[in-house]
Amino acid sequence: MNTAALLGPYHADRVLAWENGHPITYGHFLSDLTALADQLPEKPTVINLAEDRYRFLVGFAAALVRGQTTLLPPSRAPGVLARIAREYTTSYCLIDGTEHIEDLPSCQIPKHTTSQTGNGKVPQVSVDHPALVAFTSGSTGRPHPHSKTWGSLVAIARSTGTRLGLRTAHHATMVATVPHQHMYGLETSIMLPLQHGMAFHAGRPLFPEDVRFALAEVPPPRMLVTTPLHIRACVTAHSQFPRVECILSATAPLPTSLAQQAETLFHTSVYEVYGFTEAGSVATRRTVAEKAWHVLDGITLHQESAGCSLHAPYLREPILVPDLVSLQEPHRFLLHGRGTDLVNIGGHRGSLSDLNQKLNDIEGVQDGVFFLPDETGTSVTRLVAFVVAPGKVAEHILSALRTVIDPMFLPRPLHLVPSLPRNETGKLTKEALLRLLQELHSGERHGT
Amino acid sequence: MPDVSPLEAEVAKLIVRTLTLKVDPAQIQPEEPLFGDGLGLDSIDALELSLAISQSYGHQIRSDDPETVATFASLRSLCRSIEQHRTK
Repeated sequence: MNTAALLGPYHADRVLAWENGHPITYGHFLSDLTALADQLPEKPTVINLAEDRYRFLVGFAAALVRGQTTLLPPSRAPGVLARIAREYTTSYCLIDGTEHIEDLPSCQIPKHTTSQTGNGKVPQVSVDHPALVAFTSGSTGRPHPHSKTWGSLVAIARSTGTRLGLRTAHHATMVATVPHQHMYGLETSIMLPLQHGMAFHAGRPLFPEDVRFALAEVPPPRMLVTTPLHIRACVTAHSQFPRVECILSATAPLPTSLAQQAETLFHTSVYEVYGFTEAGSVATRRTVAEKAWHVLDGITLHQESAGCSLHAPYLREPILVPDLVSLQEPHRFLLHGRGTDLVNIGGHRGSLSDLNQKLNDIEGVQDGVFFLPDETGTSVTRLVAFVVAPGKVAEHILSALRTVIDPMFLPRPLHLVPSLPRNETGKLTKEALLRLLQELHSGERHGT
Repeated sequence: MPDVSPLEAEVAKLIVRTLTLKVDPAQIQPEEPLFGDGLGLDSIDALELSLAISQSYGHQIRSDDPETVATFASLRSLCRSIEQHRTK
């Protein structure tokens, strides 16, 4: 049986996590996970709801050791959890607070023990073991499962670390604003530290002040794993932040100007990670320096008639890249937009992501998005745009847009709004944009 | 019309404007929860709101400060926190 170790280099006294200012070592972690693994119920699948990043990891690792699979629900909304519970009836919940899911038994992850017991032997896990199941929301609203082997998680963590030049000897500490129950959050804030002998902050800072305190609570060198939304908040807050060696951003496109501001504010390099649920992290780029994405070692892309296929040793079969990409060199590509974002206006094909990028690059635009309302059948449906640009008028933005996009794609109308209805991971769902559009329309009808 | 202070009325307008809520600022009950059951705001709203408050009043909100755990509990607690920490 082919196996991979649960963690990278093991030093019992090395810090793995900082929980409320207290260090927890790798040695303590092995004791905690062994103790919990002995208590877990005999069930194949588990929903780990732990809020604390360290306790989530203890639960995730204990489940792995017991040969169980962790389910990562796409959201914590009660309806979503209930639906997954109905589909995986032989599951149980791991919790570190008072949460519970109706009809599923719960198991508490204890606070970490201060004693270090056990033999310090690092568990080995079969590379073919389905370590977790991630879900994509899907256009129908029904979560679609994607199984991830332990081997694929380890391979991606190793190749991402190599790309970023992470060295065990540096012993960097990761602070993450992203949820660890999210695929990108788990890959970067759990797997990356674990496989590279690094440490992480157990909290999940939200406000810029939280980020500042979390960074100050851990020793340098530091890494920050975050999203464009949090980066914008930190840049806007005008605070002084501790030095960060490296920032990773994902979940939405990061405008070059914002990446530049973040590099200056944190005295750092900002990298974007490109990936999608079916394949995990795929490529990186340093946003201020390069347009092309550099695929992680081991991944190859092939142009085919149906699109671009992705091959990796840990994938059973090639996966079609769901987005519009063009290959430059064997290992570099340009991302032209999310495949699901393809629009066709009066015979002109375009990509919403590409349009959004151009909109967000306009001076004075803080956040903006194009949206295609559902076809009404009576006339050509035009794009609308929602734009956050304090102090700017719609005409100014439209004239700037006119110089960079096909007139067919000019928004009719362009709505100036105070903010966009982004969800917890910074994404804009079609439902939220439709609701915003309806609200704006009803506001106009009522003359408000 | 609930009994609100001038600051509460001002912050209620800021909340509605920042988060594009479809409610009349005057109808926000000062003691009602802003999140969950009340206005139903989420963590991203909290982030947006914290930015607006830091820009308008110079108060940097933290979520793990024991003193301000309850900051976002209601319009009234939020305004109490702003009054204590505002720099403009």
